[in-house]
Amino acid sequence: MADDTTKPPAPAAAPPKPPGPPAPPPPKHPGFVTCTVDGREVVVKPGTNVIEAAKSVGIEVPYYCWHKRLSVAANCRMCLVEMSNAPGGKLMPGCQMPVAEGITVKTESQRVKDQQRATLEFLLLSHPVDCAICDQAGECKLQDYYMKYDQKPSRLDIPKVEKDKRVRLGPLVTLDQERCILCTRCVRFMREVAKQPQLGVAERGNQSFITTFPGQPLDSKYAGNTVDICPVGALTSSDFRFRGRVWFMSAARSVCTGCSRGCNTFLDYLKQATYRYRPRENDAVNQEWMCDDGRLSYKYLNTDRVLAPREGRGAAARDLPLGAAMDAAAATLRPHAIAGTLAALFSPVASLEDLLVAALVATEGLGLAEIYMGGRPDGWHDDFLKRADENPNRKGLELVAQAFGLLVRPLSELTRAIETGRVKALWAVGAEVPDLAAAPAFARLDTFVCQAFNQGPVAHAATVLLPAAPHSEAEGSFVNFEGRPQRFELAYWPRGGSHPHWKLAAELGKALGLAWRFQTAREVWTELGPRVAEALPGFDWDGLPSAGRRRGLVPLATGTVDGRLPGYRERVPSGASGDTRMDLLKLGR
Amino acid sequence: MSKAVIEALAARFPGDVYEPYEGVGGDDAIFVRKSEIARVCKFLKTEPAMAFHMAPYITAVDYLGLEPRFEIVYNLLSTTQNHRVRLRVKVSESDLEVPTVTGVWRGADWFERYCLDMYGIRFKGHPDPRRLLMYDEFVGHPLRKDYPLRGRQPLVPERDIQDIYRGPGPDGRD
Amino acid sequence: MATESHGMGGLDPQATPGSRGAGEHDRPFEGQHHARGYEGPLDAPLRGKQMVVNLGPSHPAMHGVTRAVVALEGETIVEMKLDIGFLHRGFEKSCENLTWGQAFPYTDRLNYVSAILNNVGYALAVEKLCKIDVPLRSKYLRVVTGELHRICDHLTLVAAMGLELGAMTVFLYGVEARDLLYDRLTEICGARLTSNYVRVGGVSRDAPEGWTEKTLQTLARVAELRETIDKLLTRNRIFMDRTKGTGVISREDALDFGFTGPCLRATGEPYDVRKAAPYLVYDRIDFDIPVGSKGDNYDRFLMRMEELRQSERIVKQCFQQMEPGDIVIEDFRFVLPPKPLVYGTIEGVMAHFKLIMEGIKVPPGEAYSYTEAANGELGFYVVSDGGGRPYKLGLRAPGWPMLAAIPHMTKGALLSDLVPTYDSINMIGGEVEQ
Repeated sequence: MADDTTKPPAPAAAPPKPPGPPAPPPPKHPGFVTCTVDGREVVVKPGTNVIEAAKSVGIEVPYYCWHKRLSVAANCRMCLVEMSNAPGGKLMPGCQMPVAEGITVKTESQRVKDQQRATLEFLLLSHPVDCAICDQAGECKLQDYYMKYDQKPSRLDIPKVEKDKRVRLGPLVTLDQERCILCTRCVRFMREVAKQPQLGVAERGNQSFITTFPGQPLDSKYAGNTVDICPVGALTSSDFRFRGRVWFMSAARSVCTGCSRGCNTFLDYLKQATYRYRPRENDAVNQEWMCDDGRLSYKYLNTDRVLAPREGRGAAARDLPLGAAMDAAAATLRPHAIAGTLAALFSPVASLEDLLVAALVATEGLGLAEIYMGGRPDGWHDDFLKRADENPNRKGLELVAQAFGLLVRPLSELTRAIETGRVKALWAVGAEVPDLAAAPAFARLDTFVCQAFNQGPVAHAATVLLPAAPHSEAEGSFVNFEGRPQRFELAYWPRGGSHPHWKLAAELGKALGLAWRFQTAREVWTELGPRVAEALPGFDWDGLPSAGRRRGLVPLATGTVDGRLPGYRERVPSGASGDTRMDLLKLGR
Repeated sequence: MSKAVIEALAARFPGDVYEPYEGVGGDDAIFVRKSEIARVCKFLKTEPAMAFHMAPYITAVDYLGLEPRFEIVYNLLSTTQNHRVRLRVKVSESDLEVPTVTGVWRGADWFERYCLDMYGIRFKGHPDPRRLLMYDEFVGHPLRKDYPLRGRQPLVPERDIQDIYRGPGPDGRD
Repeated sequence: MATESHGMGGLDPQATPGSRGAGEHDRPFEGQHHARGYEGPLDAPLRGKQMVVNLGPSHPAMHGVTRAVVALEGETIVEMKLDIGFLHRGFEKSCENLTWGQAFPYTDRLNYVSAILNNVGYALAVEKLCKIDVPLRSKYLRVVTGELHRICDHLTLVAAMGLELGAMTVFLYGVEARDLLYDRLTEICGARLTSNYVRVGGVSRDAPEGWTEKTLQTLARVAELRETIDKLLTRNRIFMDRTKGTGVISREDALDFGFTGPCLRATGEPYDVRKAAPYLVYDRIDFDIPVGSKGDNYDRFLMRMEELRQSERIVKQCFQQMEPGDIVIEDFRFVLPPKPLVYGTIEGVMAHFKLIMEGIKVPPGEAYSYTEAANGELGFYVVSDGGGRPYKLGLRAPGWPMLAAIPHMTKGALLSDLVPTYDSINMIGGEVEQ
């Protein structure tokens, strides 16, 4: 384009071109913008910024304040790059600048490198020496970028600005103002996504800090997301704060069980305890957000768990092996099944696989034609993520009941039936009930076989209590309120003597004389899944790679499901068989 | 360091050796087709200009997730010419049999047994294809990337001397 | 070679009849795989039954870790199979799951008698991948400490060889000398055996004040003890009888089996990595490589005795050439920041954190790095995927081919010859069995 003589001569009739900026060159790929980033041709949609254009060819431009779901602030200055169309040859922020046809972008020139280093040096100027006590350490972008783009000691030696170290912004968020780099991601999130503009920046210059309006706490139900998007350790979760170091933890791909939305999560665990949920990106369900109540809903996985089978109530209760408990359960349920005084209570907190096996046992083993619906009571709801129904799998339960021809009845009818004496025995898959007032009724049952995650009034009323493993300790899937099936994977082996519901149900079926038995949740799905598959088109059960294959510590940088370095304590197979030979043989190696 | 070796190999075995490259530190390396490795090694040892009388180190790598998954690496040395070369042989998981080079260097014996033991790669024609460091009852190949780091296998009873000496009979006993 | 003993072996009427030391000509079993022991005119022609004997792994002559199953006819070894792995600790698997820096203490435990030589070998492998060049002083320190550990290693061999052939005195002298050196090494790195001294990019500490002089004094004492050992063993009739002509391996066979180090040089092959491919500062130092001729146990012993002297020479030259300077490179990508920066600045603590928790980001690639350890070529085949942990850390243990060749070397020999052969190849379970 530089050489005018190569151009074909303009038609004589054309009026002389008015002076001004040269017309933009015609697009090389019509409908797209073509430019060059670090010598590589990039073809993107018009309006794409430099960060994303570079990312599309695998070039990383560092940034703090930019977030693809938030508006552009361009205040961290980390993403400055050289662009051939920059006025005066200035470095331009890659987050703000859309690529233009034919331009050249340099992200690795010495100028850019110097700038990145200088930016980091300034950002770290007042940063406290906190890594050792900071919850963000290990997932902190300051650390990551420092090791990538700076790697040198600071040249500046001035006192650090001191600010508040412990500001309780709200029930779930604690702010350390000294660590804050004022990227304003949290401010923009509250304004644009949560639509509750509760955060702002006060003061000026290096005295600036993030704060709420006076007397108004950060009480949004989505405030927890600001902790996730905070690139540094300034916003910390009051719940997770100081409870564990992230690099020891491993993550499993899971689904939040707090409501029927089924937000995709990473379940961070260490040994056999869940430490937190983090939202996992899924544009169709939760984008990359989740609500605070869901975030805190992991606690039942850790506390008050039923860990051993138990027989008898109150003072007569005694622990016994699973086999004996199953025999006792089968022996006491069978006469009631024959007499027609038996009922089954299914919880929509159980997974699809659990319910499939349970429904099979209920129909074939116990001859039932109807089930009662348990589940947690309804809670608050809004029009963003949270649903009133706080059960992750109600839709799944309905599908299973339909597939097996089971009539679903509400809990209130069960209480009445118990009171009238029509029901004298009950088998509960999941101890969640919408109304705890039903618990005294359960205590009147002759036989109450209960598979429960946690201790509680319902579990307390059981004559045979079977320890169930929740979704952190099992493979399976939930169907959310839209009918969308979503897989979750096993994070750690079941605690104590617990087993997933489906396994307990299968054992019960075996004790009742049914011939079949399942080894894995996958086998359950292979055998029983087709019965409900019609309602779940396109569901690939193996869409998440089987966790059984992801054994040991794979020393790849991307060895874990969330792309971070693997935790130091990956799943130990000791809980399964104690013998690696068996596991290897099972996997067909 | 040993460009001449690479060139000689490329000239002598066109199509059987490929992708020569200079590794970090100036080490020359070349890929060799699996079926030809014994022939290439024989040539490297017997050709006077090559004179690779020694194979100081043969090992395997498990590139889990890549295809072919395994790789055998032959680090060769000529003490007279004072040059080294590295031969790499890609081994697919579906066909884990590699021609042995024990006929070229007797020292390859234990290295190949090691690869068998740790990676499950079999060497066709090996005179004594047994595990080396692990015991015969051990299941699996510990250095494979998918072998669990904390895998536990039960203790096994000590074997008879006769078994070690002659190898177990058809029923595990003589 | 000064200590070469032409004319000493030969036909010696004073030699114990039947002993191998009695000379080249007096070797009736040469090449006979099923020899039955010496049959003189007065021996009764009795044929023994072949017997399978289990030696080890808990047998002192097997150095506690190797099991040899030996088929004997009389006292003659007809065939032998080795069963190793009793000391296998999964070195490679462990290291694949550690950061690059965390692997150093594991390398200490390969050849635990000369830990720093292992440290150096591993560090050079990682530095080869990272393409970093360490400061000159740290190179000298690596050579000095490495050679001191080489002296320790050879002293251990010489002393233990004497011990196992019945010379307890030699062992005590050897161990005294070795422990003096261990004291010096403790002063510089804090541990007698498991030194963990070298780092990627340099060494962990500088020599303390007055260490050089103290080490020179120690070397003088070690030299005295070495010469005493030399006098006690090298011309010792019993020792020579047990070692000369036993455990013989030819030059061709040694190469074929992959021998390196003193055991290869004992066969007459003058190959030493320090000369053939000089690393660190070996090209600036004047030292000789002793070479043997027969490849028997006696020659291997003599190699060690001479290398003790050469290592001393190397250390002394290093002390003369060394100058004050940095002992590690200053690059936070590879080397931990100095502690004042870690405790006092955010930059330091972040670099420290990333290096400790995630490890050095070694560029993707693969390399084979080789150094001359006490027993021969110590090789590391390292593969990096760009992460903080080795993708593969293949160990080429120096003692491995020698151990593999034991059945070959002792075929047709007397069972008692196994003991000096085992000694002279210096089988170290820690490195061979990984």
